[in-house]
Amino acid sequence: MTSVSETTERTRPPFWRDLAVLRVAAQVAAVVLAALVLVYLGNNLVTNTRAQGITLGFDFLDQPLGVDIQLSPITASNTILQGLIRGWINTLALVIVGLPLLTVLGVVVGVARLSSNWLVAKLAALYVEIVRNIPPLLIILFVHNVVILGLPPKNEPASPLGWFSISNFVIAGPWFDASDGAGAFWTAVAVAAVAAVFVWRRRTKVNEATGEPHHRVAYSLGLVVLVGVIAFFVLGRPLSWSLPVFKDRLVTGGIQGLGQYFSMLLALVVYTASHVAEIVRGSIQAVPKGQSEAANALALSGFQRLRFVTLPQAARIAVPPIISQYLNYTKNTSLAIGVAYAEVTLIAFQAIGNGQPAPQLILLLMVGYLIFSLTISFVLNIVNRRMQLVSR
Amino acid sequence: MTETWTAPKATAAEWARRNLFNRWYNSALTVVLGVFLAWLAYKLVVVLFGIDYEIIRRNLLLFMVGEFPRDQIERPFISTILFGLAFGLGAATAAASARHAAAEADLAYAAPTPRMLVRRFWPLLALVAALLAFTRTVMPTVMALSTILGGAALYFGARGMPRSMVRWGWMGTLVLGIAAFAVIIVGVDGGWNAWGGFQINIFLAIAGIVIAFPFGLLLALGRRSSLPVVRYLSVTYIEFIRGVPLITLLLMGVFALGFFLPEALRPGPAIRVLIAIVMFEAAYVAEVVRGGLQAVPKGQLEAGQALGLPAWKTTRLIILPQALRATIPAMVGQFISLYKDTTLVNLVGMFDVLEVALVVNSQSDFIGKRLFFLTLAFAGVLFWVGSYTMSREAQRLEKKLGIGER
Amino acid sequence: MFKRHGRAVALLAALTLILAACTSSDDGGSSETTAGETETTAAASSGGSVLAAVQDRGKLNCGVNNGVPGFGFVDESGEHVGFDIDYCKAVAAAVLGDADAVEYVDLDAQQRFTALQSGEIDVLIRNTTWTATRDGSEGATFLHTTFYDGQGMMVKADAGIASLDDMANTSVCVQSGTTTELNLASRFDEGGIPYTPLTFAENPQIQEAFIAGQCEGWTSDKSQLAGLRSNWPEDQGGPEALVILDETFSKEPLGPVVRDGDSQWAQIIDWITLATITAEELGIDSSNVGSFGDTESTEIRRLLGLEITGDDGATSVFDPGLGLEPGWVVDVISAVGNYGEIFDRNLGSDTPLGLTRGVNALWTDGGLLYAPPYR
Repeated sequence: MTSVSETTERTRPPFWRDLAVLRVAAQVAAVVLAALVLVYLGNNLVTNTRAQGITLGFDFLDQPLGVDIQLSPITASNTILQGLIRGWINTLALVIVGLPLLTVLGVVVGVARLSSNWLVAKLAALYVEIVRNIPPLLIILFVHNVVILGLPPKNEPASPLGWFSISNFVIAGPWFDASDGAGAFWTAVAVAAVAAVFVWRRRTKVNEATGEPHHRVAYSLGLVVLVGVIAFFVLGRPLSWSLPVFKDRLVTGGIQGLGQYFSMLLALVVYTASHVAEIVRGSIQAVPKGQSEAANALALSGFQRLRFVTLPQAARIAVPPIISQYLNYTKNTSLAIGVAYAEVTLIAFQAIGNGQPAPQLILLLMVGYLIFSLTISFVLNIVNRRMQLVSR
Repeated sequence: MTETWTAPKATAAEWARRNLFNRWYNSALTVVLGVFLAWLAYKLVVVLFGIDYEIIRRNLLLFMVGEFPRDQIERPFISTILFGLAFGLGAATAAASARHAAAEADLAYAAPTPRMLVRRFWPLLALVAALLAFTRTVMPTVMALSTILGGAALYFGARGMPRSMVRWGWMGTLVLGIAAFAVIIVGVDGGWNAWGGFQINIFLAIAGIVIAFPFGLLLALGRRSSLPVVRYLSVTYIEFIRGVPLITLLLMGVFALGFFLPEALRPGPAIRVLIAIVMFEAAYVAEVVRGGLQAVPKGQLEAGQALGLPAWKTTRLIILPQALRATIPAMVGQFISLYKDTTLVNLVGMFDVLEVALVVNSQSDFIGKRLFFLTLAFAGVLFWVGSYTMSREAQRLEKKLGIGER
Repeated sequence: MFKRHGRAVALLAALTLILAACTSSDDGGSSETTAGETETTAAASSGGSVLAAVQDRGKLNCGVNNGVPGFGFVDESGEHVGFDIDYCKAVAAAVLGDADAVEYVDLDAQQRFTALQSGEIDVLIRNTTWTATRDGSEGATFLHTTFYDGQGMMVKADAGIASLDDMANTSVCVQSGTTTELNLASRFDEGGIPYTPLTFAENPQIQEAFIAGQCEGWTSDKSQLAGLRSNWPEDQGGPEALVILDETFSKEPLGPVVRDGDSQWAQIIDWITLATITAEELGIDSSNVGSFGDTESTEIRRLLGLEITGDDGATSVFDPGLGLEPGWVVDVISAVGNYGEIFDRNLGSDTPLGLTRGVNALWTDGGLLYAPPYR
């Protein structure tokens, strides 16, 4: 009779058939292969750049920029690093203003596409189908050359209402003028805003616990406005309006944006919004029809149905693809080379054209965009996850 | 006996009341938008029929093929005809295999009639007609007619092919496609560096996605691999490429690629741009394929294992065919994306159709006339027609394959 | 069976296609590389002979511009025309005996030096300015200047600007990647003149922005500005609507460029350009180049590679040892003419640019063109 140990003893297959060994071997091979490739490329890089007399370090970042950057304090004697940072700031200016705008436009058009008004629905469909299928660079060039350059020339700006100054070079509007006490005022408002968030949450909790209407918008906004008004008068009216004034070929005062900035903004917002509209429409249609029928049975108006039933559920479906559209928008800001808006890609391009080492500059560009993309992804994925949790 | 009640056909007034003026705000919107649309239409008609199209008429060849040697200009024409034939044969083979599959599953198969095809492809046909209106010789018209009629004849004639001929159908399509490319490469002065204009956009798009596909497939499989190292390498590559704009990769290809390779291997400008595009597309194709792989139910993998198939055979015979079928609409979407992105190559010095649209404004007869809107709109229409047609076809395909149905 | 392998076959076919293209573009001549192809590596910075490579290949790879009227431009039939293009033809005529054996490689301002360094082109003739940095760190060797230019500023006549100092708070359009933007920055910063630069990548866009009034100043080489001005359409006011300010920002000597490391090739290019100048000095042009068989002038006989009979009766043909066959000057002049003809054909008063010789005249006419003797 065989002993228990004989039948249960595990025999390992020969190593060339042993899966565990093969797995490790495959991974080692992959690592070695990747390392070899990297070493080979790196070696070539070093020899070739040395042969051309190009340095591989990042010391060139301290070289003078050589050119001035539009509408900024950066001049030719600033370093390349400062120039690149300014470029990032310009990119950020496009992203921060553009993302909310395109979201609003995209949602409005997406909802309009499902409107009961035939004309509205068809117009929205026309806009989406036309703009979605045109390359963004083309839209940017078109908007710049046809729309922006169609505005009054730089030295003869239009000033509607006396509040704006509009020309194809710069578009300016009224803005707060900073004077003493403005810092304290804005700090007070910021503190009030933070407090308002807590008020909001508190009112929502009260509403969920007792069912009494929360009026949370009124409470939070009211708090901020109240604090703002009190601070304004207590600090002796520290704010004033600054209106743009055109004199001596220059517009001073107010808040200004270059014509190129608005070309990029308008073109990219319109383009990305068309994609967002498609996503919104698809996600609204993906909400089960029973939901809207139940809303109708409860005698909710169309607007209430949209706001309380359809959109919250549609939003959950729409958020991941919209995140990727946000990333596309951010990456498309690099197309500003076409219209002379000095965001970071253009500044890097200029530097390369003026003899600075290309590999390092391109690497810096890529890493920068990567950080941008990852940050936006990260923040919005948190929002996404919270939305999923709420639905349980 | 009960009568079936059918809704009475709405009169125009009824329809208008229900769809345009059903609520006060809708009525207001209709009025405002109606006026706006009428004004827009009027302006469009005035512009379309009033402007001078001379800049396009004179430079039409430049737009289409760039600096292609004019003494070999019949080659792009022949290439277009071959493409049309390839397309017709390919569509016929696809229709035939769909018909066989439907017969096998005892389902009905509705073959599209010529009228349906015209309705589906009207933007393409309208574009061809408009382009022909700009030409001054008879050759382009002959070429266009040959392409359309040849492709259509092949489609209607060959779609009745028996099952045994289907593989020859695919082979024939491939051969015609390759021939169409070969005609404009082999024997041309300068090879494909002579290409320019719209031709180069199309080439980069097709070559980009075709060459990137196997790499993307490998990356997607790598990402799902159980070997951590392979998985991390794949994920790093995919996420890095997806986080950077295409223009940075193009810049790298044009300016930095030369440094990473020994002198003997350094490619020319067209290839460098193609390499950058392939690197970019591989990551996106990988994500599309990954979506398809995730759509395959796990039961399929388990069935393969139950049959005793090794992992690679399971992947190849069971998973991939199903996964790739599911990715077709998304792949078409990715191709459309790439097709639009090829316009970026003019920023790194290639003479593509967008560059032509800019440069023709410097010709001595057109300088200072502010004809940008016309040349840009022309280039825009070229892209729009292709993109719109392809996305419509992808939607139809998606509906037919039943993907995305809840 | 076929369906399964269809994709593999397609892939294989695509790869075959690419390989076929690589091998077929040999006659094209740009640096498409395949296994065993060494013509571009021979021309690389290891000091290999570019002359031998070009002659083996049978085609000259010339880096050019495609958007500057008069210098390097693509007309509607897809042909390259211009002053720099004619010099490409001259080099091909001298080295290969055939002025049409040229592969024109269109290059952006940013890429031109990279293309030169990598061996993709044999010579760069693309209105490129000779500077110390470019000679030093760009791995390039500049040859004899073919066109002495300077950077200038063009403004609208009704803008009320008489000199650069009047340009405070203006916007100026400039092309990126050129010495133009560096000169603009230094000139304006030194003069303490506040301004806003708008850096476009393409000239046609600068043109649009200028017409629309988005930029008040357009700075570029004066030759380009002159060309643009003379072409200005009547409905925008014609040439009188524009003014090119007198002040010249900078010296912009334009000429051909080759890669560091091959001095034979550099000398060849140098003497080709000098030959066109010498020919004009000696009164040789494309119409009479064949008629000097009986001339007594030894200078002309040397230049054209004609037999020279010495005092002792022995005949010889002058060969300075550049590596070109004597008589190459005849090929060059018959193909493109002498300097004056090249200038007049592309930039002269009969062309849209309408430039005068100015400093680009022979030294005997008060200009800067002075060729060393061909002996």
